[in-house]
Amino acid sequence: MQCAESERTFDKYAEIAQDLSLAEVRRWKSEHPGAKAIGYFPVYAPMEIIQACGMLPVGLNGAGDRLDIQYADARFGSFICSIVKTTLEMAMTGHLEPLDGLLFSTICDSARNLCYVLKRNFPHMYLDFLHLPHNPGSPAAVEFLRGEYARLQQQLEELGGCSATPEGLRHAIALYNQNRALLRQLYALRAAAPHLLRTWELYTLMRAGNFVPVETHNQWLREALEELPARTGKPRDSIRVVIEGSFCEQPPLDLIKLMEEAGCYVVDDDFILGRRWFTEDVPLDGEPLTALAESYLNRAVYSSVRHDFRNPRHKALVEKTRRLNGQAVILLIAKFCEPAYFDYVLFKRELEAAGIPHLLLEFEEKAFTFERLRSEVETFVESLLFD
Amino acid sequence: MRFAAGVDVGSTQTKAVIMEDNGGGGPRLVARALVDTGAHVQKAAEHGFLAACREAGIPAQEVGFVVGTGYGRYKITFGNAQMTEITCHARGAAFLCPGTRTVIDMGGQDSKAISIGAQGEVLDFVMNDKCAAGTGRFLENAADVMGISLDEVGPLSLQGKQPVKITTVCTVFVESDILSYLAQGKKPEDILNGVHLAIARRTVSLARRVPIEPQIALTGGVARNIGMVRALEQVLGANLQVSAEAHFTGAIGAALFALEKMDQSFESAIWRPAHA
Repeated sequence: MQCAESERTFDKYAEIAQDLSLAEVRRWKSEHPGAKAIGYFPVYAPMEIIQACGMLPVGLNGAGDRLDIQYADARFGSFICSIVKTTLEMAMTGHLEPLDGLLFSTICDSARNLCYVLKRNFPHMYLDFLHLPHNPGSPAAVEFLRGEYARLQQQLEELGGCSATPEGLRHAIALYNQNRALLRQLYALRAAAPHLLRTWELYTLMRAGNFVPVETHNQWLREALEELPARTGKPRDSIRVVIEGSFCEQPPLDLIKLMEEAGCYVVDDDFILGRRWFTEDVPLDGEPLTALAESYLNRAVYSSVRHDFRNPRHKALVEKTRRLNGQAVILLIAKFCEPAYFDYVLFKRELEAAGIPHLLLEFEEKAFTFERLRSEVETFVESLLFD
Repeated sequence: MRFAAGVDVGSTQTKAVIMEDNGGGGPRLVARALVDTGAHVQKAAEHGFLAACREAGIPAQEVGFVVGTGYGRYKITFGNAQMTEITCHARGAAFLCPGTRTVIDMGGQDSKAISIGAQGEVLDFVMNDKCAAGTGRFLENAADVMGISLDEVGPLSLQGKQPVKITTVCTVFVESDILSYLAQGKKPEDILNGVHLAIARRTVSLARRVPIEPQIALTGGVARNIGMVRALEQVLGANLQVSAEAHFTGAIGAALFALEKMDQSFESAIWRPAHA
């Protein structure tokens, strides 16, 4: 693939990733008359169950600066994060019309209330709230979560007038296992040669997958993996950074680009973390819902919204940074994001003890000027490069 | 003779300096120029640079390296490199006031606190948020409302004996606070004293997010305001180092980096593509 052609491909992914009209979802539905599409709010959702019911899982990541807020400010306080407001705004302005239902989970109070504010405003829409266990070390956690998944499956079957078979679930798990494995390979490629795969490209490629069938996305990921190593490029003087904190609300694309322009090679991030939720394949043998539940508890990434005291996340962040030869960590946190800010103290203390430089950057998905953030990132890079 | 320039394109004013390093005695400040930035950022940078060259009595071609800094640094088309004003203020403050460990930079539209090492390297820093509270703009508004010139507000504030309480640090709302006090018949010096203390408290609370270690240097255009210096010292409970060149600290830091970079290969530092 020539470089210019490759650029055009990633521009296409960026367009799909940021498309508020959900054109790809509309197209899928027109090609599958009567089939349903189910949106899910970050961070994690068992996409396999939605897929096995013959439905299209659609990942929601807010509306960025592409939608003016007219309704959501009247329904949420000024201290609520942008993604909650823009998601509600999308619903109030008809942007979620192609979706037949929405799925939420226990990540924070704002997201929980978003589900119920939507219920009040759209009483006839299918809205479900998944209770993910807070204590993964409990012996009852697998059974509890399996019960939640079975309830979700039943609700979806009723909505779609279909039934998900164990074979169908295993097939869906296999497809998403492939998807996650391919993403892991791309992340490894970027960590090894960040000059060959820019972060905004990896990000938009991953995010575009929120709107298309997993089979299509797997194909895109395979194409990228085949074509990227042929790219030529000279490494620049940059610092290798790990980005942490953007697991729910996503930073604007221009901010991601800015970080690379300012002299950062991003060697890992937690953007759209739900797509990379498992660190290894979900087992295909055994009962599928149990395998999914057991994997959530025992094979998942560390996260500020998944409390696993067996593998403390502040230790995991330091371990990951060292393993990837990261020189610094940028804590890129959405304004008013409680889970990320609660963890900031934890991360800051651990990073300082480990002697890893860090920078706190606050963003809002709806922001469109970044001069102050640019100065902060550039100063941080300068302070490390000219040490 | 080797000349280098630093051009600091700030939101309100553009500062340009020429420095030389003749091998012995270390870098020396040769000339400085100050122009209003206005709406034409690129032109302001050029005017500032050329004015500094004229002041130094050298043609622009004699300047071996130019480092641009400040919010308009990417608009300096003739510059060889850009660095942030935080990095440059740290370096400049260490040059102007050796022994500095904390820099408080108060500019026209923003303020910053920087924790620095012995060589002027940035250890930690914090910037104010989007609004102009705690900046020169706040003082300008106060001066406008009271109908006095910006140069007068500092000295006048020192005469205040009973500073009024300013309840807001919002640059817009402070007008109504001041108007209320004027209507109540409060003395202008007491109002200004209160305004300066309000900004000082706001700035110091920002600075407390980085370790405040002595010595503390005040840099930026607001450092010329003696009322602000005293108010900050009162709130901090410590003396401030204020160089006569404090206004040019960022440009001086940029010129010091430019002197160093003249000796380095072009690829040896980060050269960011010009954007925007």
